[in-house]
Amino acid sequence: MTTADNHDREYIMIWVWLVALLVTGTLIFMLPISKTAAIALIFGIAAVKAILVLRDYMHLKSERMLVYAIAAVPLVLAIGFALVLIPDIIFRR
Amino acid sequence: MDRELDAAGSGIFEPGETIGMPIGKVGVWWFLASEIMVFGGLIGTFILFRIAHGGWADEAAHVNWRLGATNTFVLLTSSCTMIMALSAARTGRRERTAHFLLATVLLGLTFLGIKGIEYTREISEGFTPASGMFWSFYFLLTGLHGIHVIAGIIINATLYVAAIRGTLWSGHHEERLEFAGLYWHFVDVVWIFLFPLLYLS
Repeated sequence: MTTADNHDREYIMIWVWLVALLVTGTLIFMLPISKTAAIALIFGIAAVKAILVLRDYMHLKSERMLVYAIAAVPLVLAIGFALVLIPDIIFRR
Repeated sequence: MDRELDAAGSGIFEPGETIGMPIGKVGVWWFLASEIMVFGGLIGTFILFRIAHGGWADEAAHVNWRLGATNTFVLLTSSCTMIMALSAARTGRRERTAHFLLATVLLGLTFLGIKGIEYTREISEGFTPASGMFWSFYFLLTGLHGIHVIAGIIINATLYVAAIRGTLWSGHHEERLEFAGLYWHFVDVVWIFLFPLLYLS
């Protein structure tokens, strides 16, 4: 088996995991658990799917720190902007 | 290593050589960083408004999670076909590259078709962007994502045409496919979060 075949097998296995996680996440709200727990599980599964795509399809696992820095800074900023809006949106009377 | 000097006495480097990666890849990631700001801001704002307005459970009950799940499957599969196209290109399998690029384009069009069916049903039931804050966010988030899908389809279709004409295989063809793939996978990652946000929660 060539290196190319090994890569292709790996990409297909990742796809299988992604589909399995999709099915699992879709069925979570049928479980007898609280809504908060269900939402936490659903988004946790979404995060795992995103990490699989980022790490294996976008090859982040073999990229330089520069790429991580370019991707991480706006993510932190976007989260920060949302957090500073909490007093105005959620707690406004 | 002795380096050739230019007239100003500076060493002549290949583009990207000083940072150890193709300069085009840096450019693509910079672009994706700007997209993270756009979608991150919108999604964060949606989450805050949803919490502040009691969860919008009644409104969210009208979205079709089965079609949303189907669309998620379609997009995840298109990510797989896109990376398979790149893998084929890197190993010189030209016909395979073209086939997987075509599959990616067709899956993207399928996604848009399903989205169109959803929009038609929702609008016919009276739910438009003016129907309230949930629907305003829903159409904005999915519409903006849909525009990005259209752009990705155009890029991938261009690469497919180049692949079957034979013009893709000159120059840095692997880089072009890799950069297009990065954009397409990012579009997929955004939908991975939009699906539970709008359809499951």
